[in-house]
Amino acid sequence: MKKVKIVINGKTVEGVQDQSVLSLARENGMYIPSLCYNAEVQSSGGSCRVCLVEVHQGKSMRVVTSCNYPVREGIEVKTDTEFVRKIRKGVLELLLCRAPESSEIKELAARDGITEPRFFTDGPDVHLKNCIACSLCTQVCEDVVGVSAISMVNRGREKQPAAPYMKASNACIGCGACAYACPTGAIEMTDTPDARTIWGKTFEMQKCSVCSTPFIPKEQAEWIIKTTGKDRAFFEKCPTHR
Amino acid sequence: MDVTIAKVDEIIGRYGKTEESILAVLQDFQREFRYVPEEGMKRLAGVLDVPESRIYAMGTFYKALSLEPRGKHTVKVCMGTACHLKGANQILEAIERGFSVKRNHTTKDKNFTVESVNCVGACAMAPVIVVDEDYHGHARSSKVVDILKKYN
Repeated sequence: MKKVKIVINGKTVEGVQDQSVLSLARENGMYIPSLCYNAEVQSSGGSCRVCLVEVHQGKSMRVVTSCNYPVREGIEVKTDTEFVRKIRKGVLELLLCRAPESSEIKELAARDGITEPRFFTDGPDVHLKNCIACSLCTQVCEDVVGVSAISMVNRGREKQPAAPYMKASNACIGCGACAYACPTGAIEMTDTPDARTIWGKTFEMQKCSVCSTPFIPKEQAEWIIKTTGKDRAFFEKCPTHR
Repeated sequence: MDVTIAKVDEIIGRYGKTEESILAVLQDFQREFRYVPEEGMKRLAGVLDVPESRIYAMGTFYKALSLEPRGKHTVKVCMGTACHLKGANQILEAIERGFSVKRNHTTKDKNFTVESVNCVGACAMAPVIVVDEDYHGHARSSKVVDILKKYN
């Protein structure tokens, strides 16, 4: 854990070597917009290009994605220069074309002054309308949940997250982590009192033995019991009645 | 060739039981069955203990692999700049109409797979269609269906 000092927007801050520039900036209360980065997911980041910043080192300057650029002694970061804004504006305009109905992207784009993109907004032929193909959902499923029920399929414009064979997945446990992690709210998950439906698969919910509130899909509870050895009785009551 | 579990197992058995073999096995599926069958991917996932989603991702990523059975003959319609200007679109549409097939799909009788490609490097004879290895230059939308009917 080597401590290093860097300058962000003229302010000297101290961080740990190799942590991301984005996380250090946020620790110090500086705002950098981002979509595909999630601090809990190691492999996340680098694909939405929204968190671009300028990194100055000596005489050279590079524009990099701050979410996966490592903090090193002596670099100077500028997060809100005209150049960065100009590039980010272009990035957001393209993202808006891909997902014109996503409120998150609309909001970010509006901050940079874009309400109507200049390009086609008919979008590619994918099943998730607001998806920007950042792969965060598939990374969460693989690295955090550990089931790899979904993956990025096809490529180019048609690249999208999907369950194998575009059918309901055998591996999915219905935890919904992908839907919660999705930065644009593109993944459809519907909860009714008895069941949850996600990725075309319907899960029976475990109900609390005290208040009969559904609180976890049965398959997810089974998965946790299997992988962590947690006691089955733990899942008979909801978190409030434990 | 029909997809049988025995054949699938035989193909999987040709390579080591490691993740590196996935692509080789998928390519062999493609060669033997003219497509990558769902049963094959499922079986492979089971044998290698790899998530099905990872194999499906690979199967959909590579252009050389097809998830639906490909036809006996591949028809490539050149859509490069020269062919495009010479009416490649009409030719493709003529084929689509003549064989009731959509681009990048296979005819019902599994005889033809029709693809649009970006340039086959024969711009002097634009518009060009390529059937398997045969180049047909100066193609005309009124003639292409007759040309293709010779392939059986």
